[in-house]
Amino acid sequence: MKRANEQAVEGFFVLSAYFSALLTVALFGFMLVLGLPLFAEGRIFSIMAQPWAPHLGQFGIQPMIVGTLAISLLSMLFAFPLSLGCAVLISVVSKGKVSWLLRKTVEMMTGIPTVIYGFVGIFLLVPLVREFFAAGSGMCVLSASLMLTLLVSPTMILFFCESFARVPDSYGKAALAVGGTEVQKFLHVTLPNSWPGVVIGFTLALGRALGDTLIALMIAGNAVQTPGSLLDSARTLTSHIALVFAADYESPEFKAIFACGIFLYLFTTFLMMAVRLLGVGRERWAR
Amino acid sequence: MENAVKIRTENLCFSYNGRTILRNASIDFAEREISAIVGPSGSGKSTLLMTLNRLWETIPRCTLRGRVEMKVDGRYYDIYEKSYPVTRLRRQVGMVFQIPNPLPMSIYKNVAFPLQLKGGLAKETVSARVEECLRKARLWDEVHYRLHSTALDLSGGQQQRLCIARALILRPEVLLLDEPTSALDHATARAIEELLLELKQSCTILLVSHYLDQVTRIADTIIELHNGTLVRRGGRT
Repeated sequence: MKRANEQAVEGFFVLSAYFSALLTVALFGFMLVLGLPLFAEGRIFSIMAQPWAPHLGQFGIQPMIVGTLAISLLSMLFAFPLSLGCAVLISVVSKGKVSWLLRKTVEMMTGIPTVIYGFVGIFLLVPLVREFFAAGSGMCVLSASLMLTLLVSPTMILFFCESFARVPDSYGKAALAVGGTEVQKFLHVTLPNSWPGVVIGFTLALGRALGDTLIALMIAGNAVQTPGSLLDSARTLTSHIALVFAADYESPEFKAIFACGIFLYLFTTFLMMAVRLLGVGRERWAR
Repeated sequence: MENAVKIRTENLCFSYNGRTILRNASIDFAEREISAIVGPSGSGKSTLLMTLNRLWETIPRCTLRGRVEMKVDGRYYDIYEKSYPVTRLRRQVGMVFQIPNPLPMSIYKNVAFPLQLKGGLAKETVSARVEECLRKARLWDEVHYRLHSTALDLSGGQQQRLCIARALILRPEVLLLDEPTSALDHATARAIEELLLELKQSCTILLVSHYLDQVTRIADTIIELHNGTLVRRGGRT
């Protein structure tokens, strides 16, 4: 029979889990309720597809959706190979103190406030991009993506390192004992068996890239337009929420930001579900 | 007539983290025989095996002095020479560990794994070799209908035989076995002993064992280590 204190602790954990789940659902409910006028008017989907043209009475968020996807997906395109490479360097290639030093540096990077990355972006990266491409102000999709890459990579690197470390030693020993090289061991044993962790790390980083406000707000230029090239200025959904939130509460612009929230929420939820399915499939196989 | 020497160690000294494990161990292992290595815990038996396929090199803070020679194609090679690639050595010297270590993949892929790493063989040849090794390891009858299901669902004894099949697929000249039956029940252990007696026709076998009855049943030569030094060598009687 369980002791009273064990039951109390278990009850606390169960309550915490339910509370977290409830909070997630409540957040969505809150956005739905506040976005109710959009649903009632049947404008929710047209808002997602329309451009933002207040002078024409159009408050669509399509440019922001494109801006968000362009900046976050491009940053993941840069960040994933970079993070995988760094994780391999820390976990596989370097040994002893070098590995420790690299890891501590990455851990430190995760603690740097986003605004510092933003400042570095404005005063270092933006001028570099402006000079190098000699086009525009330098506040563009590319600059924001590069800075976001720096922001999300440390989390991914640490996730990947942890995933590599969780692969049992016996697997690696089995590969080496039959004449495998360190590279073969990594490619055939370590990487496939750390796949669920790699996918989860990727998703968390993508979630952070999608949800980050400050980098895009400071560096992407915030033009309400559908970016046609990497050097075009763009506005993300989160930046849009932040910028419009400061405006008139009763305006149609303000109401449109709930469409941004609903889109972000649904997109992130579907992404997480897809990753869960991928991860579960892999775990079943590895059982 | 005595068999020729397959592996020869000369003044082998090994230390881990500053602690000496092997002290001037000079031992000859005869070709196509089962040489059992016995001795108390910590006497250096498993370490000795790891010096013969250089697997210790994956462990940090280890140092080795001395010489290990292996006869290949009628000639003795120093296996620690730079010109002797470690991958080639490990394909010639297979190893089976105390705890079975199947990879989280199908039974077929587990056995074919060494060939996949080596590359250069047709799919049909790989399939034939997988079947041959599973038969040699006496596992074929139990798994032939579920070759593509995960190896992690096999019993402990089956997993160990799978690991033996995986070690055999590269047709090694030497097989190192580190207490391969210690985690198995009596019947499975006896089955593996019979398998080893068959394998010694084509392979030199070095077996670390704690079980004296097992050693006297199957070993041709018994090598006793104490504190990392050879203290006795003799036949099974």
